[in-house]
Amino acid sequence: MIQLKSISKIYGKDSGQEVAALQDVDLVIERGDFVAIVGASGSGKSTIMNILGLLDRPTKGEYYLENRAVNTFKDDELARVRNKTIGFVFQKFHLLPKTSAIENVELPLIYSDRKKIRGLAIEALKKVGLENRASHRPNELSGGQQQRVAIARALVNEPEIILADEPTGNLDSKSTSEVLSIFRELNLSGKTIILITHEQEIAEQANRVIRIHDGIITEDIRN
Amino acid sequence: MNKKRILLSCLRILFRNWLNTLFMILGVSVGIIALTITFSIGKGTEKQVMDNVKKQFSSNNIYIGAGRGQMGSGPMSQGPISTLKIEDLEVILNDVPGIIMYDPVQWLPEKEVIAFNNNVTTMIKGRSSEGEIIWNRTVQTGLFFSKSEEKNASRVALIGSKLASVLFVNTDPIGQQLRIGNIPFTVKGILEDKGVDAHGFDMDMDVIIPITTMMKRVMSVDYIMSASLLIEDVEQMDDIVFAITDILRERHYLNENETDDFSIMTPVEVKSVVGDMNKVFTLVLPLISGIALLVGGIVIVVMMLMSVSRRVSEIGLRMAVGAGKRDIIFQFLIEASLVSLFGGLLGFIIGVIGTKTLSSSMNYTFVVPWQSILLGVLLPVAIGMIAGIVPAKKAAKQDPIEALS
Repeated sequence: MIQLKSISKIYGKDSGQEVAALQDVDLVIERGDFVAIVGASGSGKSTIMNILGLLDRPTKGEYYLENRAVNTFKDDELARVRNKTIGFVFQKFHLLPKTSAIENVELPLIYSDRKKIRGLAIEALKKVGLENRASHRPNELSGGQQQRVAIARALVNEPEIILADEPTGNLDSKSTSEVLSIFRELNLSGKTIILITHEQEIAEQANRVIRIHDGIITEDIRN
Repeated sequence: MNKKRILLSCLRILFRNWLNTLFMILGVSVGIIALTITFSIGKGTEKQVMDNVKKQFSSNNIYIGAGRGQMGSGPMSQGPISTLKIEDLEVILNDVPGIIMYDPVQWLPEKEVIAFNNNVTTMIKGRSSEGEIIWNRTVQTGLFFSKSEEKNASRVALIGSKLASVLFVNTDPIGQQLRIGNIPFTVKGILEDKGVDAHGFDMDMDVIIPITTMMKRVMSVDYIMSASLLIEDVEQMDDIVFAITDILRERHYLNENETDDFSIMTPVEVKSVVGDMNKVFTLVLPLISGIALLVGGIVIVVMMLMSVSRRVSEIGLRMAVGAGKRDIIFQFLIEASLVSLFGGLLGFIIGVIGTKTLSSSMNYTFVVPWQSILLGVLLPVAIGMIAGIVPAKKAAKQDPIEALS
């Protein structure tokens, strides 16, 4: 599914003070796996998440996604791959304000070729148990509900991969367990889940835990 | 990527941020209102003046004025010039081929006219019996004065219909007496209605008397103010103008260093003079309005830039879920164009209503030309597109990682 070959990301090349956020990282993630990437802030885990999510390009190395060398793709091709293959969930939810839940969920479909987008969006909301909140705006929903809307948005275009960056960082413990159980269900239905976190107990929910420190993978274990 | 969906999404966003949208719409509409109104006034004035010119100048007339004055200012502006004589016209008619007839004109812009107990100050024009044909204005009742009445300097008068109703009220004026100053005249006919002339004088208040009577009895002068000549063929216009110039210069004893003491106007020149006057309306005023429109464009640029800064996270999110740079640029250009289009349509509608209101309150016809619908639609869309470029590029340059962190 995902294969990184000696990926490096180096910042500050122009100023001469080079900082390597990632150094020759090799990583393979299988289809249908549930992986947690764990590290402290500044460890490089955000960088690896951005590269995996095709939001950022590595300074060097190769990235194969479903056997395509996506490190050679142009920006607009990458946008299309993100649209079809990857669903993002963020710590701060990033829902559009003043916009109903259903329209927020529809957002990725605007940039797709899918038809009957309203129906697909309702399906996605059902999967997170919020079909009766479809017309609510983000400010009318609790934090946990907002994150579930965001998960529905990540699901709506049926991507293979869900990439979640600290998805429970802004949530109380009840909402945290709700969100994590949604991820587990999604994983059981065949989705590949990549969870980035700094919390050990969250990481323990995953099948595989990859620990990253100073831009290098230091540990890679299966629970 | 689906343009229709992006368009719908833009509409929703504009609607949700209605206060911003309203400001941008108003910014554009002010410019378009100004532009529509000035453009309509310009076109209306042009049409009105041209209609008046056509009313007075048939295309095969040549107009000779005493003095150097142009039509626009009028020969009176240099004081009376006493060199143009009826004999000059007689010589021109005999010597220059292609001239059918002439009509000498002498006039007083303000003279008291009295009948019964009513008196009015109005314009007195002295003309020949040929004036009926040359000025294309005959009588609606009664008779035009005859050649012999002209020869004898008879005290006969033709009056406009409005003047008739002021002086004679309900009495039939034909055969009645009126006085111009102290001189009694007999009313011979009521002139055809002509409305207001290019100088703003109401021609239905005219008194027309034989040129001879005007010169001998009313003004005691031996010169005329101007003359109109009727020619056979418009193609010969230039040759005839040259010939007339030669004859008049010779008869007025002008040497080579002296300029003409008369001016010759042809319908072509009249139209071009009037056209120049109208450039003020059709070019200068819209140009000023154009500046208003430019300000509208700047309002859009500024507000869209603010909007981009405010929506950094939205832009980043759209990119993350699959919007390419082109989609982002498209979105912001469409938003700017939609806002401009709404502003344009609003401005156009208000402009047309304003024009109509102005027309009726000033009793003046303003034409809303069909071209101005383009003004209300294409121009604002173009301005929106241009104004949207900078904000759209700024938005597309957004780094999704920074926007989402």
